Amino acid sequence: MSDQPRLSAQEIVERLGTAVSRRARIRAVTALVAGLSGAALVSLLWLTEPEPLPGRTRLAFALLTAICLAWAGYGGWLLTRKVVLFAADRVVAAWIALSASTATTVLLAVIAAGRGTGLWPVLAVGAVFAAVSLLLLARAHRERARLLRRRAELTT
Amino acid sequence: MTDELLVVRAQLGERGALAELVSRWRLPVWTYVRRMLDAERADDVAQEVWLAVVRGLPRLREPARFAPWLFTIARRSVTDRLRGEYADRPEALAEADALVEDPVEALADRARLLDALAALPPAEREILVLFYLEDLPVADCAQICGVPVGTVKSRLNRARRLLRVHLERTAGDE
Repeated sequence: MSDQPRLSAQEIVERLGTAVSRRARIRAVTALVAGLSGAALVSLLWLTEPEPLPGRTRLAFALLTAICLAWAGYGGWLLTRKVVLFAADRVVAAWIALSASTATTVLLAVIAAGRGTGLWPVLAVGAVFAAVSLLLLARAHRERARLLRRRAELTT
Repeated sequence: MTDELLVVRAQLGERGALAELVSRWRLPVWTYVRRMLDAERADDVAQEVWLAVVRGLPRLREPARFAPWLFTIARRSVTDRLRGEYADRPEALAEADALVEDPVEALADRARLLDALAALPPAEREILVLFYLEDLPVADCAQICGVPVGTVKSRLNRARRLLRVHLERTAGDE
């Protein structure tokens, strides 16, 4: 009967793997943001086509949108079930979300304006994404500031 | 450095603080798990506990209450493995209640104590481990086990009596 733990503290931390891996965090945020932006871009191109599209082209647009949504789903699943975001990570992730929302909205607005259709829906959806990102950013900053204050109190 | 400071630093994302927290609590967590489960499962379950702790750490609102929170998670993992045993607890507790005397604290032989602990039903074993081996206050034990303080006290009394009975019986056999 072994009455000592087999694993050292370092081995335990190493075995936490994906949960604390920086690479996994980057992969998760990238997949989510790129997937959502890609899905929005492809959908806009599809919906603002001036002429009716042939069946194969519609199928291609649908497949591309589904692939982008699948990547977004994968990123979301990683972030909610596998990867741990600590206070500093949440601030970075919220900034990435805000930047990506803004960039995607500007790109889509330029495309929509060029095609002369769908500008207002693009701006409306873009505003919602940007507002949610701002909310997340404010919350992440507030939480990090609270923890920094507490750390300072406990250190002195 | 206090546990609270370590937890706050880990919540901020300091990897070193997380490693220090694991280092500091590795043995208490393993001891609790090991006293509740066999040696084969203890390491795996302790690792599961740490994974759950890391996942839950950003949401821990009271870093000063880290220890009871940690053992609540450990208890959940252990309970999952012990569900079968908890379901059919032995009915012999009442008989054991009749026998009292000779304080358990006088016990010198740690190996004998650990053997005796292993023979107790899970609920009684758990409360002795938390209270005596992990040195947690009754209020924390109550929070971890999800029962009132009074229940912890009565469970402790029953556990001590059962332990005493077991030790007397093994001493008589020798």
